[in-house]
Amino acid sequence: MIEHLHALIYMLPELWHALLKRPITVRYPFGPMEFPPHFRGRVIVVEDACRGCGLCVRDCPASALELKREDKDTFHLIYHPDRCAYCGQCEVSCRFGAIKLTNEHVQAAPQRAPLEVLVKPEKGDEAERAKTKSGVDEAEGGSTS
Amino acid sequence: MTRMTIPIGPQHPALKEPLSFLLTVEGEYVIDSSLRLGYVHRGLERLCQERTYVQNVHVLERVCGICSHVHSTAYCQGVEALTELEIPPRALYLRTLLCELERIHSHMLWLGVLAELIGFTTIFMYTWRDREIVLDIMEEFSGGRVAHAVNLVGGVRVDVEQEHARSILTRLDDLAQQVDTFLDMIQHERTFQARTRNVGHLSVEQVHRYCVVGPVARASGVDVDMRRDAPYAAYDQLDFQVITAQQGDVWARTMVRSLETIESLHICRQLLQNLPSGDLTVRAPRRVPAGEVVSRAEAPRGEVIYYIRSDGSDKPARIKIRTPTLTTLITLPDQLRGVNTADVPTVLAGVDLCIACADR
Amino acid sequence: MSISGNAIELLSAKVVSALFKLLVFPGFGFLFVCALAFQWIDRQVAARLQGRVGPPWFQPLADLIKLMAKEDVLPSEANEAICAALPIVSLAAVLTAGLYVPIGAHSVAPFEGDLIVTLFLLSIPTLAYFLAGWVSVSVFSVVGGNRSLLQYFSYEVPFLMALSGPAILHGSWSISHIAESQAIWTVLVQPLGFLLALIGLIGKLKRSPFDIPKAKSEIGAGPLTEFSGRKLMMWQLTMHTSTVVGIFLLVNMFLGGDGNGVTALTSFAFSVKALGILLLLSVSSVLYARLRIDQLANLGWQVLAPLALLQLLVTTWIGTG
Repeated sequence: MIEHLHALIYMLPELWHALLKRPITVRYPFGPMEFPPHFRGRVIVVEDACRGCGLCVRDCPASALELKREDKDTFHLIYHPDRCAYCGQCEVSCRFGAIKLTNEHVQAAPQRAPLEVLVKPEKGDEAERAKTKSGVDEAEGGSTS
Repeated sequence: MTRMTIPIGPQHPALKEPLSFLLTVEGEYVIDSSLRLGYVHRGLERLCQERTYVQNVHVLERVCGICSHVHSTAYCQGVEALTELEIPPRALYLRTLLCELERIHSHMLWLGVLAELIGFTTIFMYTWRDREIVLDIMEEFSGGRVAHAVNLVGGVRVDVEQEHARSILTRLDDLAQQVDTFLDMIQHERTFQARTRNVGHLSVEQVHRYCVVGPVARASGVDVDMRRDAPYAAYDQLDFQVITAQQGDVWARTMVRSLETIESLHICRQLLQNLPSGDLTVRAPRRVPAGEVVSRAEAPRGEVIYYIRSDGSDKPARIKIRTPTLTTLITLPDQLRGVNTADVPTVLAGVDLCIACADR
Repeated sequence: MSISGNAIELLSAKVVSALFKLLVFPGFGFLFVCALAFQWIDRQVAARLQGRVGPPWFQPLADLIKLMAKEDVLPSEANEAICAALPIVSLAAVLTAGLYVPIGAHSVAPFEGDLIVTLFLLSIPTLAYFLAGWVSVSVFSVVGGNRSLLQYFSYEVPFLMALSGPAILHGSWSISHIAESQAIWTVLVQPLGFLLALIGLIGKLKRSPFDIPKAKSEIGAGPLTEFSGRKLMMWQLTMHTSTVVGIFLLVNMFLGGDGNGVTALTSFAFSVKALGILLLLSVSSVLYARLRIDQLANLGWQVLAPLALLQLLVTTWIGTG
């Protein structure tokens, strides 16, 4: 019994301080959420700088990057945010600074499609881009299901 | 008195990770227990043989959530020893900094978990609130709260600028004050001590028989700490004490871990104030010459041993991991014999289990 | 003709007024609203003291509604009839006990000796709790049931002795009479009695640090582990209502109840006193670690019971001397 009274002396000031401070709870999604500048979020590819060398594909531990070459000049780099482990190895491996991790956090999606990001270099005109896009989408439907 | 079998796990409020205990209880006392592991076995050692050395840094970080950096440190050290690389001192200091920050994080988390299992939810809420300071520091430094991805074979990936280092030092001072308050609170809070004293006793002879390592061994009086006995990273240039206690019960382990947190804060301050300048990485070859190496590190729960064998290609031939939780798990049937049923969660919390580490 | 017409009117007016008192105020409806409100205040206070944001105001009601919609299953070896009857019996007992506790000088059916009836009725949920653990055959429930019975024997005796103090002081076993005849509050004359009654109430309501039967980290949810759906909803409602009835009982016995009269000021005073006791209960639930059952038994019999006996002796000595 004495020990309980004794404990009061040490706990009550702490409780009082906790009452006066703001609660530590972050009210996401009903309130803002902050990400520091180096947060490892969604991967983006700087299309001009990507040469299609495949270093990032080779070093990704989660097989989240895929390289499809149509011919010597045209290639498609596909990024799967759902397989990505957000480790940043691709950013370290790329010698041309073409792939970076932003500090955007990846939202969930109810289907696979919004999660498969097609990245390709700025080569060719609109028509070629449209043609190759539909071609790769079909191939993707087969390979990722 | 009738005997009952109480199942603790795989799902149980006292466990953070799945583990199966079958306790044979007579009245209110535990007579016997049997242990079953393997619920979180992911076959990571086999997976590592299918991935290159570069990819394995990230795979092995996911062996455990809390000790993630220590696993990747031990692995990188092993591979660097095989390739005979000389790591720049700045990289070593930054690796050590994150190791110590992780130790602080782990011990604060553990204190909260112990308090919750005793029924003292208030201390759980307070320690986890102050643990956010460390998590924020780690997130700004490395980009992730738990999976840091800071190590590369050959150095580290991120850097700390002068101003950032100063802001980290200020926050660590705040944290030191909070940890001192908690230490004060639990030393004078008699209800906490009444639940943890003389519970879950391990003698020195048992520690040696089961090869127990880490704070559990240090709390029974066995003075073993890899940071001092086999220095790695920047530990040979640092000045710190190894904390031991004599009683060997859960209260001794609480004191050892709390005082270790304060020592870790002291180490972090030394590291940030004496950070050498220089490169962050050296270029590492993709193919590692054939050979085998044993690399050891001091995780928050004890000594973690990595055995790496390479055959000259760019994929390892075998990686074997011995985590500290395996040693403490074997002592649990001994510790639980004769313990009051109400103290079973206290004993389980006292050994700080990390089943993900144990199962790999 | 007119006499019997008047008689019928009088009778129906009385019936309507009695039904109003029973069902709305200060009967079941008011107790239900108070149960939810007190639960919310308790959770908010505990949350703010721990540095977090508490639940929104409709949370206790939402919990009860959610439970009504959930599936109601029991283990195959549990006795279904008893398990269905126990929560209903407990809820009925607590609500009936609430009828005798005056809320601001309104009590539905006061009579001499209703203190004893109220205390007996408040013990029924505890015994039903133990039986619920025993009958739903899982290991966690049985262990929880054993612990709840042991806890009952540890706190109940000091609790009853502490509550007899005001009765002896004011020479009556009717709660309404005790509440009205407090010229000075009983707590000023019997501070030890008040403290013991408060500790006994914490034990009866199975709040921290005496939440041993439902120690989440050790035995799941204790005796109620196997209950779900509507049965669990009634158990929770029983717990919340016991809190309200217990607090009102203490306000009446020790803090002067509502005094006399039904003015707005005295009702306000009653609410303030009730909320004050609720605040004490909430703060004490975050201050300490949970006790072990043997530590509680030691506390009850080595400390609380002798103190309660001392208080009783002092009261009788002052009363007769």
